[in-house]
Amino acid sequence: MQPNADAATGLGLVVPLEKAWHFRELIRAVVRRELAARFRGSVLGWLWAIFGPLLMLSVYTFIFSSAIGIRSAAASRGVANYSLQIFVGLIVFNLFSEVAYRAPALLHENANFIKKSIFPSETLAWTATIRAVVYAGISFGVLLIFEIALLHRLPPTMLLLPLVIGPFFMFLLGASWFLMALGSFTRDVTHLMASIVPVFMFATPIFYSISDAPPKLQILLHCNIVGDYVEMVRDVVLLNVLPNPILYFGSLLASLLIFRSSYRFFMQYKSVFVDVI
Amino acid sequence: MSSDVVINCQRVGKAFQLYKHRNDQLMQTLFGRWKQYYYPHWVLRDISFEVQRGECWGIIGRNGTGKTTLLQLICGISQPTHGNVEVSGRVAPILALGAGFDQELTGRENAMIGGAVLGLRRKEILARLDSIEAFADIGEFFGQPLKMYSSGMQARLAFAVCAHADADILIVDEALAVGDATFSKKCDDYIRKFAARGTILVVSHDLQTLELLCDHIIWIEDGRVAACGRPAEVTAAYRHAFGIPSTFRAAQARAIG
Repeated sequence: MQPNADAATGLGLVVPLEKAWHFRELIRAVVRRELAARFRGSVLGWLWAIFGPLLMLSVYTFIFSSAIGIRSAAASRGVANYSLQIFVGLIVFNLFSEVAYRAPALLHENANFIKKSIFPSETLAWTATIRAVVYAGISFGVLLIFEIALLHRLPPTMLLLPLVIGPFFMFLLGASWFLMALGSFTRDVTHLMASIVPVFMFATPIFYSISDAPPKLQILLHCNIVGDYVEMVRDVVLLNVLPNPILYFGSLLASLLIFRSSYRFFMQYKSVFVDVI
Repeated sequence: MSSDVVINCQRVGKAFQLYKHRNDQLMQTLFGRWKQYYYPHWVLRDISFEVQRGECWGIIGRNGTGKTTLLQLICGISQPTHGNVEVSGRVAPILALGAGFDQELTGRENAMIGGAVLGLRRKEILARLDSIEAFADIGEFFGQPLKMYSSGMQARLAFAVCAHADADILIVDEALAVGDATFSKKCDDYIRKFAARGTILVVSHDLQTLELLCDHIIWIEDGRVAACGRPAEVTAAYRHAFGIPSTFRAAQARAIG
């Protein structure tokens, strides 16, 4: 059977990557379509993608520099730093939430493609994730500009960002395969995600840092892998700190596991999707 | 088995799983090991045939007898419930009007994506874009969003993209019926030219065209092969079974007489 053949080569991690490489032209074409379609027909076009994050960061900086006094380890490093920390957290979390909101409906949206042409539906996870990463990249550009303007420096650990984003990307791919498969069976998944993602946001250290929480709660918070990535991205992008190695390799392992098992789950039911959507 | 068999269907059967409740599909996925939540509906049963390289096969049958499902199985879009489908070579399917096209995108952009789905490299598609535009022959609409197209124009575009895909096997599902006379002729010419080097599978209700084009015809009735063989014999049996007069002249004669 197929799964055994997968397992024989590279722990089942290589096959999905090989396939994505095989379909790279298709993935590229669909990503282009998605990006082009987003701001089509608007006068300002791509400026909207920059305007949103810019406004958000300005508001955070204003609110936290004037009105609210925050008792937090993070806040002790200064207002500019604190608003940037929130912004980093939001970028990472929004990346996840965009995938989580969109993935369950992906197969339904592309039913026409899947049923009537030879369309490899597993590539939809790639296009959705890449699309989300591109938008996060725009916000990240805004972040860099503010970081230079407010703190007059960029930490050298920034160079390690790809090592943190890489595993996070694998996690997002895994999450979208899993949610796509579930979402094709029942529409409830879309509604479920719409209800739990906002709640999930508070279990993620965006407005605080995990070290602020009581020790018992900290372990629980570390179970939220998105939160771990928020902390690690914050470490390398803002705080000039190397991520905790246990945390890093733990998240890496969990991400690869999710990546692999979700892909298998998706491919196992791939032939069924055609008949149910 | 000879290596020249490009499509090999062995005792292929396809059952759709019908559910009483929409969400029983989820239950089946989770607990299907212990309990069956669906009622199987057999669309195809025991279909066997072999297509040799360079042959042109026609598929006939009434609506709802499983012709399109059979094509989906051959394209690999869905999987047979039992039996085997083996296909060697690159398949270009034209299964439905504007299938896999995005209504918001222009003809050019859709051609790019359509080509990528069929396995073309970006450079290859770009190189063929002019030729695709010329083949589709829809003028300035090539640069317009697809929602502005008539259904005939969409069919033209779909056929033009598939015609440029370097396929080994062309699979056509009634999509050509909507084109006007000039375009039909263009498609017929292309199919004839294609038949010289590639394999063709075509579903149609136009028996006369099939008789001219195909070297084999398979008649599917109620999910089974009712007849399979030389075009003239199969279409004669089909006409006889459903009381279709063999030519227009015969129909006229009957009407007058």
